[in-house]
Amino acid sequence: MQKYISQQNLTTLLDTLIKQGTRVVAPHMNAGVPLYEPIQSAADMATGQLPRRSAKEAFFPVCEDIMSYEKEGQRISLKDIDPARFPETVLVGVRPCDAAAIPVLDEVFSWDYKDEFFLERRKKTTIIGLACTAADDACFCTAVGLFPGETKGSDLFLTPLEDGGYACESYSDKGETLINGNKELFAEPTKTKALSLAEPQTEKIDLKKVKSWLDEHFEDPLWDGIATRCVGCGACAFVCPACHCFDIVDEGTEKAGKRRKSWDACGFWKFTHHASGHNPRDLQPKRYRNRIMHKFKYYDDKFGQTLCTGCGRCVRVCPVGIDIASIVEEISKK
Amino acid sequence: MCDNTNKNIYLPYLATVAEVIDETPDVRTLKLVFQDDNLRESFIYRAGQFAEYSAFGAGEATFCIASSPTRAGYIECSFRSVGRVTEELRRLEVGDTMGVRGPYGNSYPVEEFYGKNMVFVAGGIALPPLRTLIWNCLDQRDKFGDITIVYGARTEADLVYKRELHEWQERSDVRLVKTVDPGGNGPEWDGKVGFVPTILEETAPAAENTIALVCGPPIMIKFTLPVLEKLGFTDDQVYTTLENRMKCGLGKCGRCNVGNVYVCKDGPVFTARQIKAMPMEF
Repeated sequence: MQKYISQQNLTTLLDTLIKQGTRVVAPHMNAGVPLYEPIQSAADMATGQLPRRSAKEAFFPVCEDIMSYEKEGQRISLKDIDPARFPETVLVGVRPCDAAAIPVLDEVFSWDYKDEFFLERRKKTTIIGLACTAADDACFCTAVGLFPGETKGSDLFLTPLEDGGYACESYSDKGETLINGNKELFAEPTKTKALSLAEPQTEKIDLKKVKSWLDEHFEDPLWDGIATRCVGCGACAFVCPACHCFDIVDEGTEKAGKRRKSWDACGFWKFTHHASGHNPRDLQPKRYRNRIMHKFKYYDDKFGQTLCTGCGRCVRVCPVGIDIASIVEEISKK
Repeated sequence: MCDNTNKNIYLPYLATVAEVIDETPDVRTLKLVFQDDNLRESFIYRAGQFAEYSAFGAGEATFCIASSPTRAGYIECSFRSVGRVTEELRRLEVGDTMGVRGPYGNSYPVEEFYGKNMVFVAGGIALPPLRTLIWNCLDQRDKFGDITIVYGARTEADLVYKRELHEWQERSDVRLVKTVDPGGNGPEWDGKVGFVPTILEETAPAAENTIALVCGPPIMIKFTLPVLEKLGFTDDQVYTTLENRMKCGLGKCGRCNVGNVYVCKDGPVFTARQIKAMPMEF
């Protein structure tokens, strides 16, 4: 379904949703840092900059409670999570590189055992993607097969037009429902020109070639070459829209407390450290290899998808200048 | 819980500590009985599977289920106190409550072993993942051929399940060969002295129609596999279980992989053929 929505009507739509009690999550400035967070008014939405962290946290928060416990004498009682924790949500202004990662993450959280924390939020969230009009030199979505107008993951997709309004296309039942429930705000498509999309300065990488090289090169001098400078800070994983490794820890006393699930990173030494002292990935090159392997081989082996959407955040935050795009490009040319 | 079809996969079952057994100065076995009456019947597991055990306030730790599925009504786990969670689990007394999530992972294809001779080779604290299968076999004794157990530890004190070793030694339908490292034997020691691979070679079980199950520290496995090969075992006749640091046990948290193999889902039980196909990352 193709529609047009004016800037004014998009504001009205979001404010109406907020008033109706829907949680609206959008890029906004939090103390000068752009983040995807719940907004109280459409005026708070700020889509000018790529949010510092990805949109995955709307489904998979940095840290969340997964149960609580209370001890009385020798008995312990457990409290499960209140379903009200997962409200109806509209996630709006999502960059294509962020939206595209969400269906990729569906695979790991829904195969075999179902992670309701991710999947309930997923069920209750409508994603409104926004075409990207500004790339910087770290962006490489085009290198991994996406592009600034990519609609993967979006229920509704907005393309900014020269008059300030948006061309709006629906890609799912959730998208249709949102349009149908607010018909008066959407008009028929117009002939107004779209703003020109961003043009990341990267060539498409042959990911099949990358994978077949990785299939054969678990041991390779490349890993030492890249990773000797990696400091294992884990920042790349924390800003990544597709990294999903997590830790489970108890916080509290013996009497009462919570069990929490929080983001973790394969770059950390402790990630695979056994209580016995043994560590199968004891050195940084082994951990960095796992990062590349997981994104471009293991996840593909298991789910047929790549765990990278080319958002470039890991390139921007890396304190020692490791550039995953150029590493993968180098591999593709081997 | 969000609705009837969904449930919190991270929520453990509650179990009462029914018995505490000290195996060695730092290895302890807990016998656990589920607090939910129905669960005591419905908790079905297979030999080789593992669980996540909670000491609330400290967190979860991963161990195999050390008891045999042929013994209903309870489960057992054996662990060495080496970290925060195991130290807390060690503080539990009879009647205390702990958490259990599971059973997880694959298991030994026990039915495929029917009619075959079984050789168990274990070192130190690695007997529990084999003990579940040993009792499974002994409880269905007529389904298996000869049963040989080669078990070693650094010292006499480090041998776990001493009561059971004694029982196996007394039984005429089991051949137990126990050993301790040179210097680990006391004056009363009635077993062998030597490293497990050497003693296995000396014991020389016939490979024909036999399954070998090996579990122990990496160095023991490294030297045991060539011995089995020399005795004529093929890689498909040899099984082992891997362990890795785990958090979810459910194929999600991303840390227990060896290459693209997830120990929690694809394992923990592997044949030597599968192990040899993996990258050296364990």
